[in-house]
Amino acid sequence: MNKTLQRTQQHIVILEASKIISEGLYDILYRSEINCKIDHCDTLDELFELLETKTPHILITNSMQFLNREKEIKKTRKTHPNIHIVGMDCMHMPKMNSLFDASFSLYDSEEQIIQTISKLFEKLSFAHQTKTDDDSLSDREIEVLTGIVNGHSNKEIAESLNISVHTVVTHRKNIAAKTGIRSQSGLTIYAISKEIISIDDFS
Amino acid sequence: MYGFNFKMNMHYHSKYRINPEMKMIHLLEENHLLLLMLQHFEIDFRVGDSTIAQLCKEYDISENLFIRIANLYSGVRVANNTSFSKKDVLRVINFLKNSHTYYRSDKYPQIRNFIFQLKQNHPDKELKLLEQFFDEYFAEVLEHLNYEDTIAFPYFIALLENKENTAASTNYSSDEYSEHHTDIELKLKDLKSLLLKHLKINDDWMLRRQLLFALYELEYDLYIHSLIEETILIPAGIGIENE
Repeated sequence: MNKTLQRTQQHIVILEASKIISEGLYDILYRSEINCKIDHCDTLDELFELLETKTPHILITNSMQFLNREKEIKKTRKTHPNIHIVGMDCMHMPKMNSLFDASFSLYDSEEQIIQTISKLFEKLSFAHQTKTDDDSLSDREIEVLTGIVNGHSNKEIAESLNISVHTVVTHRKNIAAKTGIRSQSGLTIYAISKEIISIDDFS
Repeated sequence: MYGFNFKMNMHYHSKYRINPEMKMIHLLEENHLLLLMLQHFEIDFRVGDSTIAQLCKEYDISENLFIRIANLYSGVRVANNTSFSKKDVLRVINFLKNSHTYYRSDKYPQIRNFIFQLKQNHPDKELKLLEQFFDEYFAEVLEHLNYEDTIAFPYFIALLENKENTAASTNYSSDEYSEHHTDIELKLKDLKSLLLKHLKINDDWMLRRQLLFALYELEYDLYIHSLIEETILIPAGIGIENE
């Protein structure tokens, strides 16, 4: 199995009203080598509520859940382009295949189910490899960080580095994700401890 | 697997569901952090052999409310379809006030003290800055707690006691409360990241572990605190405003 698959934790949401099915799937996933955390929703509305605060990597859903709600699903797809959707088929539903990135049947073996999901993860980790593997900041990010701790606005940072404000915002997001720190004062302590700036520059 | 994964699995229904016939002492064996809940409810820790039903009767709390909050503390978020009586909501406000006391006079001062000691032991510039970071953060937290105690909670209490006048005569509303609801948890995460990922501090295991334990305990209670506000207090307030 792909190494990144075990190292980086994947976030899976199971959308399934049947307790027997969702708990069965839960156990299969936890027994497998996939390093994941799992949330569970009974209904599509519960899922939408969850998506307001979280962005899972994969959604595994009973295909019946999408019945007559294709519009909402397509909209969610647009607002959350990074979620991969796996359909669980309880019966044949050819019409909805376009909504899923992959699917398996309730009667597939444990290995088949894990394989289906692993394949998606490999695709995912390939796309995000540079992000998930390394927590050290790039040179550009260090330049942006220096601007932040010196109290410069996004616009000022953008001008001094000759990049767009949008790019600065993206760098800021990546800095927060890598360091686990969001506040300016927290980032200042980070920058000093990594000797990116010296305390004399700062005061 | 289910006990401490509470944040990850909050939509996952736990293996057992709390019912009124369970003995409190057994629930505490499963999750000792429920002691925080008892304290906020002003229930004595010496629970003896009492069941939840008996405790609720003794302390005049509805079983419905007690179980909902106990479930939150155990990582179970049950579908939000039960409604609470006015008495319940007043009880919730009292619960939240008590948790404010816990933050203000207990947990934050304890953490402050740990950071202060750490700074004394390691006269590095980073730790001086960490102390400064914490003090600014603590000041923000106090401001938020005071705001809730002096503006938000009195509003909800007035709303419960005399609904016609309050909603109409003040500009304040439950909606505004949820907007004002600042993210106190954010800087707490920054603190944890600094200690777990970045700041190099040699030795001092005991002090650092005590500090981290305190941060985790605080984070846990703050998280439940905001869930109670978001899933019980605010919906109840909006419900009365719309009546």
